[in-house]
Amino acid sequence: MIIDVNFVGLIIASIMASAVPLILASCGELITERSGVLNLGVEGMMIIGAISGFALMTVTGSLIIAVFGAMLAGVLISTIFAFLTQTLITNHVATGLALTIFGIGISAMIGKNFVGIPGKEFPVIFESLKDTIPLLSPILFGHSIVFYFAFALPFITSYFLKKTKIGLIVRAVGDSPEAASNQGINVKLVRYSCILYGGAMCGLAGAYLSMIYTPQWIENMTGGRGWIALALVVFSTWNPIKILIGAMIFGGLTIIQFHMQAIGVRIPVQFLTALPYIVTIIVLVVISRDSRKIRLSTPSSLGKSFYKDN
Amino acid sequence: MNTNLKISNVTKKYPGCVANDNVSLEFNSGKIYALLGENGAGKSTLVKILSGVIIPDEGKIYLNENNLKLNSPLDAKKNDIGMVFQHFNLFETLSVFENLIIDSDEQREVLTEKINTIMRKYNFSIDLNIPVLNLSAGQKQKVEIIRCLIRNPKVLIMDEPTSVLTEQETSELFLSLKKFSEEGILIIYITHKLKEVMELCDEVAVMRRGKLVSVSEIKNENIESLANKMVGQNLKTIKKKKEKTSSDQLINITNLNFISEDPFETNLSDINFSVNRGECLGIAGISGNGQSELFQVLSGEIISDKNSIEFNKNYIGDLNPQERREYLMAFSPEDRLEQAAIPQMAIFENVALNNFKSSNFFNNGLINENKIKEHSKKIISDFNVNTNNIELKSQFLSGGNLQKLIIGRELITSPDLLICFNPTWGLDVGAINYIHETLIKINEQNKSIILISTDTDELLKLSDKISVIHKGKLSKIMDAEEVTSEKLGILMGGGN
Repeated sequence: MIIDVNFVGLIIASIMASAVPLILASCGELITERSGVLNLGVEGMMIIGAISGFALMTVTGSLIIAVFGAMLAGVLISTIFAFLTQTLITNHVATGLALTIFGIGISAMIGKNFVGIPGKEFPVIFESLKDTIPLLSPILFGHSIVFYFAFALPFITSYFLKKTKIGLIVRAVGDSPEAASNQGINVKLVRYSCILYGGAMCGLAGAYLSMIYTPQWIENMTGGRGWIALALVVFSTWNPIKILIGAMIFGGLTIIQFHMQAIGVRIPVQFLTALPYIVTIIVLVVISRDSRKIRLSTPSSLGKSFYKDN
Repeated sequence: MNTNLKISNVTKKYPGCVANDNVSLEFNSGKIYALLGENGAGKSTLVKILSGVIIPDEGKIYLNENNLKLNSPLDAKKNDIGMVFQHFNLFETLSVFENLIIDSDEQREVLTEKINTIMRKYNFSIDLNIPVLNLSAGQKQKVEIIRCLIRNPKVLIMDEPTSVLTEQETSELFLSLKKFSEEGILIIYITHKLKEVMELCDEVAVMRRGKLVSVSEIKNENIESLANKMVGQNLKTIKKKKEKTSSDQLINITNLNFISEDPFETNLSDINFSVNRGECLGIAGISGNGQSELFQVLSGEIISDKNSIEFNKNYIGDLNPQERREYLMAFSPEDRLEQAAIPQMAIFENVALNNFKSSNFFNNGLINENKIKEHSKKIISDFNVNTNNIELKSQFLSGGNLQKLIIGRELITSPDLLICFNPTWGLDVGAINYIHETLIKINEQNKSIILISTDTDELLKLSDKISVIHKGKLSKIMDAEEVTSEKLGILMGGGN
């Protein structure tokens, strides 16, 4: 059997494409969690992003407005979360869960009028270079701008956290909001910003799904990707580069098990469908075993409300 | 340049207490000032106001005649007031370097240079790249101090800095503080340790119950005079009347053994002793020699052989603490906030935890709140706990008040035997005195005490008989009259 190298390249590219929403949402949530806030509303924010992007694209016809509109929608819904958890000091877990339920419900309501409408083609870049290098070309060229952004994001996030002043402040707030406040850092402002940023990234991840990955609106189309994104953040021990690895493994296994089902491999379908979830978590746990590093990268105040009393 | 810091008529009230009551004070650079007071006297509140963490209800702060608006810690920093907190204010998972630079807007290179200069000048050696959680308490404090010094502060406030330090670290700290003072930094040193005040400071301000009671120069004071000012009355030197105690045996321990599965615990082997009514048995020892295990075996947290403990002619070795309480034993564990009380629960709820069948705190599974509250109020007034709010969470009580509450809770049912473990650990003089008086009173009422303590002076003061625990074994029981602290020291070290 002759294997076409370009075909292998295409498979890898499709794996990467399926990893994009996971990377975007995880890197956003990572920043939120690094500031000590546990937002379980990722799924809800993603689906809001998905419907907003698709609806704006259909109504305005502008892709740019649609993409930024989806991010703005993510920001808006996360503002609700931020207001509740930071200003009204509600419990992070309960509020996050409510956000997801809210997001799924409201997206289904808005989405009713958009079911069955075909999406638009999203422009890709470096299209002309697609046939230049065997194997690598399909991987490197001919994708949307969001795709490139997603693969740059883990490195940008890592640099931001380790090397910049603001990144240091985010980590400090996540480590000890009391100490940060005593140092004169505005804990609420930092946490608000991180939550809103996470919302924007989740909105973008949703928009990628409904506008680029499968350009159409289907109810509940995020299909649990938000929860996987959350798991990636935790099991990668809050390390953006490991999120990239985890998202690739998850995407890879999802694609491969589809192909295995198609070929008719005699393994129960249920097992194949569960495979990506199990393997991703096992791999991440194994590569993040160093308990000292876990201690150092886990935001100590994660999920704890901070209230300053005078 | 000379620095002058003035606190003028500062008041801060909390529900149920006035933390600072119209306090006015003046400080000048070149001197080290002590702010002295018992736990809960309001000294920490005052310095938190100076550092912008707490905003006062009334009053003004002046630095070199400028009225400061201190609404946040940032304001204090901008005005060159640096503070080292009692509970470190560091980011454990960040590196030392990151902790040092976080509040500064200067360039990394400039800061690195500054930090290195400070470390060289004061002989600090700390690896800047390791995370703070790997540092010792003394090193963490140095990080805090460096963080203040980076900003060239005019005022440096130290809030009970030696509570976590070893003796070696303490004397190093004192050397540094004297150096800072010579360089013109105004130093305010908060403590309740009198010896430190005499050794380090030039002037002393004493606070009591939120009020400033005196300001004086150290050369006019001595330890006794300061102690009296701090407590507000002439401290009686307590002495126990050693009487011939009865020969009526209350508790008898025979061949008590405990073998632990935890490698960090100490095994107890062959413990034998008895205590008569009206007697206090002291158990001395260097901490970690099996005291904690002995306490747990005696209190029933660890259950042992039924016949190994005979109490009031009953064999109770296999009973749990609650059942032992029904036989009129009472316990005061070492760690007040971890073992004796639940910090997030109110005072009266903590009282209810000591649930005797006879106390009727619960009816058919329902809480009898009125009964519990009534009972709690009695404890608070009988045992001099300084609050009138029984709904206050117990974590907000000072150590001394909490200990009084715990001992009160145990004693109000008038038990035959009180077993206490380091009852005055970390308390100030006034509270220690009160606890000692209470313990002596128990003996006078013909009740017994087993006092496990690492404080030899306390043991010699209160015990009728003394034994020493070393590596899980008890020495022979000695008459307290015949024992000296030297002899105890030898036994505690494992000698003969």
